[in-house]
Amino acid sequence: MYGWIWRHLPGNAWVRALISLALVVAVVYVLFNYVFPWAEPLLPFNDVTVDNQ
Amino acid sequence: MKKVAATTDGTDTSDGTAEDTAAPASRRRPARRRGTGRIAMAVSVFGELLITAGLVLGLFVVYSLWWTNVVADRAAAKQADKVRDIWAHEDDGGSGRPAEFDSKNGIGFLHVPTMSGDDILVEKGTSTKILNDGVAGYYTDPVKATLPTSGKKGNFSVAAHRDGHGAEFHNIHKIEKGDPIVFETKDKWYVYKVYGILPETSKYNVKVLSAIPKESGRTKAGHYITLTTCTPVYTSRYRYIVWGELERVEKVDAQRTLPEELR
Repeated sequence: MYGWIWRHLPGNAWVRALISLALVVAVVYVLFNYVFPWAEPLLPFNDVTVDNQ
Repeated sequence: MKKVAATTDGTDTSDGTAEDTAAPASRRRPARRRGTGRIAMAVSVFGELLITAGLVLGLFVVYSLWWTNVVADRAAAKQADKVRDIWAHEDDGGSGRPAEFDSKNGIGFLHVPTMSGDDILVEKGTSTKILNDGVAGYYTDPVKATLPTSGKKGNFSVAAHRDGHGAEFHNIHKIEKGDPIVFETKDKWYVYKVYGILPETSKYNVKVLSAIPKESGRTKAGHYITLTTCTPVYTSRYRYIVWGELERVEKVDAQRTLPEELR
């Protein structure tokens, strides 16, 4: 999977590394801003009130 | 895993499907059949997916325990500044409307020296949205909190996060009986003294919020404060409760001199 992505990136090794890094940052950004805030209330780690619905 | 790979292989090879399915993938590798590359790929993709899942879970921990604090502290600091600003501004202009009743911006600050060195802004409501800003919220549901500013007898019940999102009540277990809890409004210090602690209770135990919290041992109406958060740390299986009773009310002077409990 990652090998496939690497092979399909353009440019030499440096350019590919740079693009890979950008992709990783983008994925982390999406996770932190959209996926985790969505998932967090669904998980039982952070209810602090009594009679939480 | 192997079964999936073998099945994929079985559909591609024309000979001996049953035999292939039974044989482990590792033994077939030297044979270099047509399907072997596909098995290797399937296995490697599966492995990469597992690694990815592990990394995502790791990131989630980082998010929960660090990033939410960063975001919440920023939001709380901004809102606290706003409240302090409004208080200071009202001193100058004297708009007439007491700040403590402006529940939109937060009604005051909690100081619990044994738990946290910071002052904790208190806002209206205990919804996720409010509490995730790194503030404490006073209950409006299921039992409405009685605000100390109202002067009435009742229970001033407050909730905040134990972990993540500011983790304002993280060290609630450090509070002991006799410790002070001070609630600061624009012109009064409400000094409470802790008299009851319930280290573990059900999350459905709404009675702890009652005007007279019987579980704390009190039977008469009074000016109580209740702190609630989740326990044990990093989970929210149970609730941790701390009760305090109003000891005295001090006027805030021009220098906002702290009451002796906070000095």
